[in-house]
Amino acid sequence: MAGSWVDAILAAGAVPASYVPDASAGRTDLEEFTGADLVEDAELRTRSVADARPLSPGAVGFLDGIEQWRVVGYGGVTPIVRGYVAAAVRRRGPDRRLRTGSELSRELAVTRLASLAAPVRRALETCGVDVVEFAAEDAGQPARAIQAARRELERARLALERALAERCLAGLGPDEWLVVDGVLSDSVALSAHPRAVGVIKSHGAQYFEGAELERALTLPAGHRTSVFEPRSRGARRAIYSWYLRFWPWEGNDLLYGLVRVEARAHPDTLARASALSAWLERERSPLSTPDARWDRLLYPIHDVETYLRSRAPRDLLSPPGSRLPRTGS
Amino acid sequence: MIQHREPTPIGRVVATELKPATPHQFHFWTANETTIGIGAIVKVEGPRVGDQGPGRIVFGVVTDGFAYSDLATPLHDVVGAEGDPAKAAESPTVRQEIRLWTAAVLRQHPEEPLQPVPLGAVYVASDADVAQALRMDAYVAGAQPTGIPVGLYTAAGLEAPVYLDADFLLGPEAAHLNISGVSGLATKTSAVEFLLASIFQHFPAHKGRIAALCFNVKGPDLCFLDRPGPLDDADRRRYERLGLTPQPFARVRYYAPCKADGVNLNTLRTHPDLVGDVEPLVWGLAEVLDFAEVLLNRDDIDAKADAFIDFLSDRVLNKEFDDGFGGSHRVQSFADLDGLFRAIFDGLELSGRSDMWRTHHIATIRKVRNRLSNISTRCKGLVTDDGPSNDLPWGRFEDRTVYVVDVANVDPLGQDLVFARAVSKLREHLERRDLGVEAVVVFVDELNKYAPGDGPETYVRKMLLDISERGRYLGLVLFGAEQFRSQVHRRVVGNAGTTLFGRMDADELATPGYHVLSPAIKIKLATLPIGELMLRHPHFTQPIFVRFPRPAVLRGRDGVERFPPSADLPFEEAVVRQLVRLDRRIRPNQVKDLIAERRPDDVRRALAAVRRTRPDDALACFRRMLGVRVAPAAAPAREAVPPLNPISEEPY
Repeated sequence: MAGSWVDAILAAGAVPASYVPDASAGRTDLEEFTGADLVEDAELRTRSVADARPLSPGAVGFLDGIEQWRVVGYGGVTPIVRGYVAAAVRRRGPDRRLRTGSELSRELAVTRLASLAAPVRRALETCGVDVVEFAAEDAGQPARAIQAARRELERARLALERALAERCLAGLGPDEWLVVDGVLSDSVALSAHPRAVGVIKSHGAQYFEGAELERALTLPAGHRTSVFEPRSRGARRAIYSWYLRFWPWEGNDLLYGLVRVEARAHPDTLARASALSAWLERERSPLSTPDARWDRLLYPIHDVETYLRSRAPRDLLSPPGSRLPRTGS
Repeated sequence: MIQHREPTPIGRVVATELKPATPHQFHFWTANETTIGIGAIVKVEGPRVGDQGPGRIVFGVVTDGFAYSDLATPLHDVVGAEGDPAKAAESPTVRQEIRLWTAAVLRQHPEEPLQPVPLGAVYVASDADVAQALRMDAYVAGAQPTGIPVGLYTAAGLEAPVYLDADFLLGPEAAHLNISGVSGLATKTSAVEFLLASIFQHFPAHKGRIAALCFNVKGPDLCFLDRPGPLDDADRRRYERLGLTPQPFARVRYYAPCKADGVNLNTLRTHPDLVGDVEPLVWGLAEVLDFAEVLLNRDDIDAKADAFIDFLSDRVLNKEFDDGFGGSHRVQSFADLDGLFRAIFDGLELSGRSDMWRTHHIATIRKVRNRLSNISTRCKGLVTDDGPSNDLPWGRFEDRTVYVVDVANVDPLGQDLVFARAVSKLREHLERRDLGVEAVVVFVDELNKYAPGDGPETYVRKMLLDISERGRYLGLVLFGAEQFRSQVHRRVVGNAGTTLFGRMDADELATPGYHVLSPAIKIKLATLPIGELMLRHPHFTQPIFVRFPRPAVLRGRDGVERFPPSADLPFEEAVVRQLVRLDRRIRPNQVKDLIAERRPDDVRRALAAVRRTRPDDALACFRRMLGVRVAPAAAPAREAVPPLNPISEEPY
């Protein structure tokens, strides 16, 4: 499939290219102050989870997704990107081993059709590949176009993850939980489910200021903050959230070992925030090394990523050699 | 029986730049809970290439295994468990692990062009696959099959019979078998007993008749081959799977020297129910003198001693001989020879002539006398000073018969003599094609002792080398066993077409001869259970592990418990027993009356004569012989045994 549509556009006049941009920065959080309403305490406090009895669900599904892409050609100065997005749920049962429950993947071409020459456009439209277009205003400067293509791919991945999560929730057993790498508030079903929990590793969004911000970001290891409810932004649904520190940050970085947890906006979540936190803290072992984000990345989520990458098309990876012009013919 | 089942892949070949697949080796992974292990035979099916039918098929044997997880460094496990090993086991998730196996290629199809192993699916080998992988399809089936069952290959819950090619085990293509293993597990002896039974049941008719000559060199190991031993259901199932009938050897002939008293047998098979089957092995001067070289140690080997022994054989033995001092001698026994020596010494002393007698120096004569009288003293019972000999049935060997010569309690010098003479006689008769069978398996245990890699050159070692290098053309096949293969002469072990390894000592496995084996194979060898062997055979490109059932014969240790050896009988009783064995009508009192006040030597001579002639009326014959001096049987004219080549590093 990939070979066929790429060959088709090249045959139609697109200039071949082979460029893998820097790896995706992952799912982005909002990078602005949004504010939050405390639901557990009058002011943001820190609470030890050491004494809490960890939740111990009989089975847990872990959901994550990946995106991989490569610029495969240019129509004029408009990049034509070949993208691959995939998501999977790996389920852990009583034997503590992870097995794939379900997965979805999608291959797509990202470009701006109107900017392409007619033969190339026709080739793309007729070869059967899903074509996603970025906005017309991004089609001029290639650097901007490539960033726009990346955003489209991220959107496609999020949609795939959401679809898979919602499908997984439908089949979730009574003692089974779903842990999602990222926010729950993008999905109605996820944000309302009693046994779905989101673990966010990036901290672009700011929910507190002043002393409360400092308290949140200097959380000691093995502690969580009070539960709060981020204020609604756009389509995001009501959700309860709190910070949790896996590893001591002193000597490293303020965000070292710090995750934000999301769960259903419901009194039950409030009641078991410490139990949930204690469970997630147990999940820090085994370490998810050699991933650089191991201090915040749960091993099962790392495992889902490894699984998805092992199944991704090999020709989307960066070539190991240099990008110097090839010699000879 | 291996059930037909839909083939389900158990693994997949993987290859990286650092661990590539080659024409001789490949790597594959399996599920963690796989049933395969070191020594398992697997089949790789390469992908189909267009419409050219099935892809390349490769058979391999697992030689090494690896397990690892995605743990970057051990330190990360410590950090994750906060330094507490107990916590490591409590991790909610088990790390991803791999079972990665290395396999050595046994066979490829098609065999040309020889290519790297394809990155295909891996299957457990079935019966038919094992036959193909080991190239057994070429000799197990067909108009004249030559397969000899040697054991069952077992892996992944499957069992498949493994066959040796008789042409490569018993000649003429290759021959000889060598088995190594630590002592005390009874694996080596059991394996040889089982294999001999298998050979006797499956030796191809078109290859003629076969017999075995086994030297029992320690304890009661081979003393009960004709007695059934205990087998369990698993053994019986294995016999059935191998197409063998579990039964003791139908025809076994036992030979053992007498003890110094000349009437009690020097063997552990002396229980009254069994001792009747044991023939005394008694040799006289003529038998010994042919192999006098055996008796001479390195310092003795000189042209003068050789020349004098040749002189005795050619000019003196069994001839009227004038000693030059007026005496006439007819030397037929050690006693006669000693008389001659005494006459020579007395003659030289009285005449005061010189120290030379017929060009031989008196010192040389004394040395030869010393060595010859030494053997008659040290091996009294095997070598008789006087009287007739009793030997193996040269020329009358029977098909599918085991001849056991029990020399376990014989002086090492006597053991050497027995080996040398018995094997030389075999060679002689096989060369003339008048042994009675076309092939003989000679089983010699303790090759470390009889064919050491270093140490003095001995006649026995030369003889074993000779069998190893030339025996296959004659049908003379050596089955040798030893504890330390590395310490056996390399040409003896090197000429063995088939090699078996039982449990091995770790120090032995560290010697250079085992460097071709992977560490995993070595570990497996060091911990092999009783009844399992590693096997090399010319058709197999890699060593294979097989299990064999217990031999259907009584083990030596069990035999002596069930048939405890009887105490030595008083002289009279022993004579009675031997005569009664020859003629059941004889009453003990008759014999006792006859031998009362007779000299023991006279009785022994008469008894030996009766044994040799086996008359209808043994008592009458015995009575008659007691009255006369019994001369040894006139030595039949015999072709000289061709001299063995001196040991050299050049095998050709």
